[in-house]
Amino acid sequence: MDEMLQEFLTESAEQIEAASAQIVAFERHPEDESLIASIFRLVHTIKGTCGFLGLARLQRLTHAAESLIGALREGAKATPEVVSAILAAVDRIKALLAELEETGQEGDGDDSDMTDLLEVQVARCKGRGGEESHVAPVIVAETARPPIAAEAQPARHAAPSQGESAQGKRAETIRINLNTLERIMQLVSELVLTRNQLLEITRHREDDTIKPPLQRLSAMTSDLQDAVMRARMQPVERVFANLPRMIRDLATDLNKKINLVTAGGDTELDRQLIELIRDPLTHLVRNCADHGIESPDERVSLGKPTAGTIRVAASHEAGQITIEISDDGRGLNLARIKDKALKLGLTTEPQIERMTDEEICRFIFAPGFSTAEQVTNVSGRGVGMDVVRENIQAIGGSVALTSSPGKGSCFALKIPLTLAIAPALIVEANGQRFALPQHSVVEAVGLDGGEHRIEIVQGSKILQLREAVLPIGDLAELLELDRPPQPSDAAGQLAVIMRVGAHAFGITVDAVIDVQEIVVKPMGGSLQHLAAFSGHTILGDGTVVLILDPNGLREALGLEQAREAAAAQAEAARGTEADKMRLIYFRAGAGVDKVLPLSNVARIESVPSDRIERANGLMLTRHQGRLMPIVAAAPDVMVKDGDNTIFVISPGSEPFGLLVDGILDIVDDKLDIEIMGDAPGVVGVTHLNGKVIELVDIAYFVEMLRGPEADGTKCERRLLLVDDAAFFRDMLSATLLASGYEVVKAASAAQALAQVARNPRFDAVLIDVDLPDGAGYELAARLRGAGARAPALALAPFASREIVRAAAAAGMAGAVGKFQRNHLLGLIRACVGAGDDGRESFALASGAAA
Amino acid sequence: MSVEPSRIAREMSHGAAGALDGYFSIKVADDLFGLPVTRVQTIFRIGSITRAPGGPRDIVGLVNLRGKIVTAVSLRRRLGLAREEEGPGSLAIGIEQGGEAFALLVDEIGDVLSLAPDSAITPPPHIARGRAKFAVAYHRINGRILPLLNIEAVFDFSGDR
Repeated sequence: MDEMLQEFLTESAEQIEAASAQIVAFERHPEDESLIASIFRLVHTIKGTCGFLGLARLQRLTHAAESLIGALREGAKATPEVVSAILAAVDRIKALLAELEETGQEGDGDDSDMTDLLEVQVARCKGRGGEESHVAPVIVAETARPPIAAEAQPARHAAPSQGESAQGKRAETIRINLNTLERIMQLVSELVLTRNQLLEITRHREDDTIKPPLQRLSAMTSDLQDAVMRARMQPVERVFANLPRMIRDLATDLNKKINLVTAGGDTELDRQLIELIRDPLTHLVRNCADHGIESPDERVSLGKPTAGTIRVAASHEAGQITIEISDDGRGLNLARIKDKALKLGLTTEPQIERMTDEEICRFIFAPGFSTAEQVTNVSGRGVGMDVVRENIQAIGGSVALTSSPGKGSCFALKIPLTLAIAPALIVEANGQRFALPQHSVVEAVGLDGGEHRIEIVQGSKILQLREAVLPIGDLAELLELDRPPQPSDAAGQLAVIMRVGAHAFGITVDAVIDVQEIVVKPMGGSLQHLAAFSGHTILGDGTVVLILDPNGLREALGLEQAREAAAAQAEAARGTEADKMRLIYFRAGAGVDKVLPLSNVARIESVPSDRIERANGLMLTRHQGRLMPIVAAAPDVMVKDGDNTIFVISPGSEPFGLLVDGILDIVDDKLDIEIMGDAPGVVGVTHLNGKVIELVDIAYFVEMLRGPEADGTKCERRLLLVDDAAFFRDMLSATLLASGYEVVKAASAAQALAQVARNPRFDAVLIDVDLPDGAGYELAARLRGAGARAPALALAPFASREIVRAAAAAGMAGAVGKFQRNHLLGLIRACVGAGDDGRESFALASGAAA
Repeated sequence: MSVEPSRIAREMSHGAAGALDGYFSIKVADDLFGLPVTRVQTIFRIGSITRAPGGPRDIVGLVNLRGKIVTAVSLRRRLGLAREEEGPGSLAIGIEQGGEAFALLVDEIGDVLSLAPDSAITPPPHIARGRAKFAVAYHRINGRILPLLNIEAVFDFSGDR
């Protein structure tokens, strides 16, 4: 692309961003002439350059926008309509610039709608310039009008000084290619390492001639490092700049009045990090506007000012940047969070009783957690807070949350200044040193027989530390380091406590040797797959050490994100909301009452006794024009005179009737199979509303009816069904058997692998995505590795979009809910069919699943 | 740290620009291989090795080569030969492959040989599969058969995880 055009694009992008922020500020402070002058200048510059570069479309548009801004400059009132029109024009300009950047030329198109809109506003301004605006401003936003005067400079100050500094700086700045800057950074990093090595070498030498110059070199290297770091720094202002506009739009969408206060915009942060915090920050601000701030009426009734305030403040302390996003809204609803956490099975009643408010608040960071009753297009989709936390953690930061009911909430993001250099603990295990990033280290605790001891509970190591009970592992064991011939006395005597997200855990090491600033270097390709390490570095003495990845350690400890991730998709048969299913509760014969998932029952029919015929030892009735076999749900269920209740079970093409004594109830409940049944026709025994009931085994009846016939004609299609819940194994296998598939059941990943080892010829593999001994997604790959070439389908209580996506990412052919019988059968048919036409075409199936 | 750039290596890699047919003969145990001079960046003796727990078996660890972290690979282990403890002082050849810096640990580095195309022979058919992939070609030189090392295969651990 033309160099001049490139430069124009870079500059315009910045100018446009600045302009839209200033327009919103201007709406609030129409008396501030310097603001509008500055906006006018920005748009004018773009217009001028467009003319020069021959960009006619942009020129026309900017010209129209300039006219309207000019009218404002001449004293027209900045009504919300005018501001909206200008903002719309700014959006269009941005879109055109984006297109220009992508294609290198202006796209065809007509902006007369926009120019007309702008002209109408110009005419209105000119005509009725002096008139009072009849609409109250929809939103009041200011860049810095703090409730407490000392906290930030008033907007009047901020804006002109910005303008001035932008003007003043232009003479002193040059644009540097980012790669050049990165290269300098790299070289400085190397220099720092070499300096450290030199210092280490000379530390043990009594040589006075070399020390003074070396010290100077050392000091200068530090200064140089600082200076280069600073060159990469940019003010957080860059992220703040688009907030006023966003708040304005949100306030309009939500019918709320919201003030935005920003402070500390000049706090500097590494360029790379600025981009990385943009999304999380935006999300949190949206969240405050959507969930935090009450509607104007509600606020008035609470005696609060009509307009809510969202405050975004950045500050720099102790090598970290803190960004606080707070609002004066309703605060988090603890009761609702508790409720939801319990429902999702994230915790238990007794646990939650002991939790502090802060701990309860943290549940909102769990995946799939959203307490919004109504899903709005702003937030409340239940993906978000977990993503925010993950993104912040990925850059070595943390999110803290405080909330007081009725007064508001505050999210505090703590972010390291830079990613390239990080403080780390140098720890030793079995004589090998490792670097442990300090950002996730909470504390180090001595274990020498004192109050802190490691106990073995159920085969796992547990550390009791004050109130907390922490999982703990030995670093040398986790990494499977060779044991030295003579373990030192210090072995495993020190526990380093770490926190990753909501998880605190410990690892034992032999010693903490040092705290050093390390230059983080990514692992080379051949070792990149090691989850326990995030990179490597060279220490002052020249030795290479591996940098431990707290996330990887947590995984090595076996702490899956289980408790959090569990949420909706988790452990089906174990008592989360997801397992709640509609159950039909009935009586059949003597003995306890029985239950069957309603999903297994296609219809409930009332059949008069005279329509039940007996032939060849079978009961038959006419159902939808065909003869349908009937079996008794228990041996002692007899056909009664008069009406008989029959469940029509339609596992596939051949429906059959299940004769029962009577329906008792239909309930929504979860099923915990407590005792496996060995009586024929019973999956197991469970509790429902305090009563013991039996879960009926549909598979048994299907087999009974198909019986000899099924054995004779060997099924051609062979399926592998992996699910740890017996209930689902039986339910699904019944469905599948009835549809003519041969089903091999496995209750665990190990069993599945064993089955594949025995005979890898399967036509499709169905895997529960949340197996206890290895996530289902992983198992798909392992089975493939073991030789099962069949397409794999992910089974979940509900095939949410995340699951479908994760399944696709894991190379699975699709995902389906366990209760979506028809969908499941359809997918299997697609997979099995694809197997005939060529293995690659099963992508089709995943399309169907999505 | 005992970084000891071999003088031969430097001279050779300078001279190598013109001599595309220059090959180092490298030796592990009784095996001899040819390695293109142009691919050799440096020859050095390694200092301390940092083990990479959980990594492929043939990766001995990480070593510091003048401020650069390189992955040390034992040719001995790669070929499935009797294991000899590699450690500080082992002879290493610096080679870059696939964007990653490697140090190939060998027992000896011999003369530079000039190979003519006509000295190539067809690969002996009975070479074990595990070994065959490590040679790209075979040459007969001075009455001996010299396999040329397949550098890509030596540093490809994708099958070893």
